[in-house]
Amino acid sequence: MVIVQHEDFDVAALLAGLRERTAGSAGAIVTFTGYVRDYAENAATASLFLEHYPGMCEREIESLCATAQSRWRVQECLVVHRVGELRNAEQIVFVAAASAHRGDAFQACEYIIDALKTRAPFWKRETLASGERFWVQQRDADADKTRSWEQSSSTRDHK
Amino acid sequence: MANGATIKVLYFAQVAELTQRREEDWPLDQPVRGADWLAALVRRYPQLAPAGRLKLAVNQYHVAPDTLISPGDEVAVFEPVTGG
Repeated sequence: MVIVQHEDFDVAALLAGLRERTAGSAGAIVTFTGYVRDYAENAATASLFLEHYPGMCEREIESLCATAQSRWRVQECLVVHRVGELRNAEQIVFVAAASAHRGDAFQACEYIIDALKTRAPFWKRETLASGERFWVQQRDADADKTRSWEQSSSTRDHK
Repeated sequence: MANGATIKVLYFAQVAELTQRREEDWPLDQPVRGADWLAALVRRYPQLAPAGRLKLAVNQYHVAPDTLISPGDEVAVFEPVTGG
């Protein structure tokens, strides 16, 4: 399930819902939560504005979840991502993967958040405490991580 | 523009700020390579040149620069994404 919304989300409620939907079959649920922090060095972040491409965004994340479910044994993936104006320390994104085994759940969750950072059409504009505003640039490390997942997929034996 | 074939172009984030548009119809009569169309876009909006790494999505899918854009397509232009 993929949800893109302005409103904040309740991690405990999302986890409880996933747990209920996968009760008895999921032996492990791994979750990731991302928060607004000070991105720029030596400068305090006041807020972030997140823009997205409606439609493509949801479809792209659904596609990442489908890839995760084809690579690992995962019962359900859940992604919630916020857009709009976010203050420092607020929640941005939640990813959860439910699986019979923890290894699959860990890998699926990590793959989805890594790939989301380079594929899902979101853009962050940062406003510093000084009032200065700029669009955040993609980190090379994020692109490298997504590439390494793609390479590990091509060398893996498929069922 | 009577009977002219077009593509629908969408601009996001910094690209939208630089072009001062969020979308526009662009005349296109026959298929064109993405990279060639991007070059034409930068000729129309020279302020995009410093943005550098412009990416395209066609009909809401990421595409490589040699992908063909055809009349009727929805084409999105943006810098590398920064979600998560």
